[in-house]
Amino acid sequence: MSDRQYELVYILPPDTTEQQVAELHSQVEAVVSRMHGQIATTENWGRKRLAYEIGHNKEGVYVLQVINGSGELMKELDRRLKVMDMVIRHMIVRVDEEKKVVERTQTKRRTESERRRVKRGLPPQRQPGEGRPAGEPDEGDDDRFDGVEV
Amino acid sequence: MAFGQGRSGGGGGGRGRGGDKKPGDKEKGQRRTLFRRRKVCKFCADKIDDINYKDMKLLMPFVPERAKILPRRISGTCALHQRKLRTAIMRARQLALIPYTAE
Repeated sequence: MSDRQYELVYILPPDTTEQQVAELHSQVEAVVSRMHGQIATTENWGRKRLAYEIGHNKEGVYVLQVINGSGELMKELDRRLKVMDMVIRHMIVRVDEEKKVVERTQTKRRTESERRRVKRGLPPQRQPGEGRPAGEPDEGDDDRFDGVEV
Repeated sequence: MAFGQGRSGGGGGGRGRGGDKKPGDKEKGQRRTLFRRRKVCKFCADKIDDINYKDMKLLMPFVPERAKILPRRISGTCALHQRKLRTAIMRARQLALIPYTAE
């Protein structure tokens, strides 16, 4: 089956040690590899302040993992994470489709601008020093006259 | 056309405009110096395609102190991007990155 990409974020209590984090990571990895998926990247955001208390915790250790795998895998992973006491919060989000859409719009925008530039007799890429200098707000026609003209 | 308000595409409502046209204006024939900056969708203007729940720097300006999502009529965000913004904020809330409410 075609691979889907998911992002899994889980939050651990602030007093978890590096070792415990590694242990949990290996547990997740075991499930993933058993269900024929793979972990693309793992990111440890470290300890962060929570915006609200979760079970008397004011801080948490965030871990992000990008996982390629099937829906069944994520279902299993979700079930397991729910059961674990150590994980105070987790979230799984599917990202591959959104990524595709973003890529498509970006390439579309690029090719469109190139097409228009070529039509105007310009080189397809923007040259340095061309266009409005950055940091200078445009005045005039952008402001809509909102009063009454008699 | 009354006050040129029909053209306010994407802009907010006519709030805070003060009083309406006074009868005295006509005789004087002066332009009222009431300019309002046109609201532009930040994501369209900056060409931000990906509104991600992890990007706090991007999301925080749209979550004022009461922790509510800033409405479109104030931020000027277009419908498409407001929808994406909403999902991103809701996801970030689930992960306690953004509060649901302010104390």
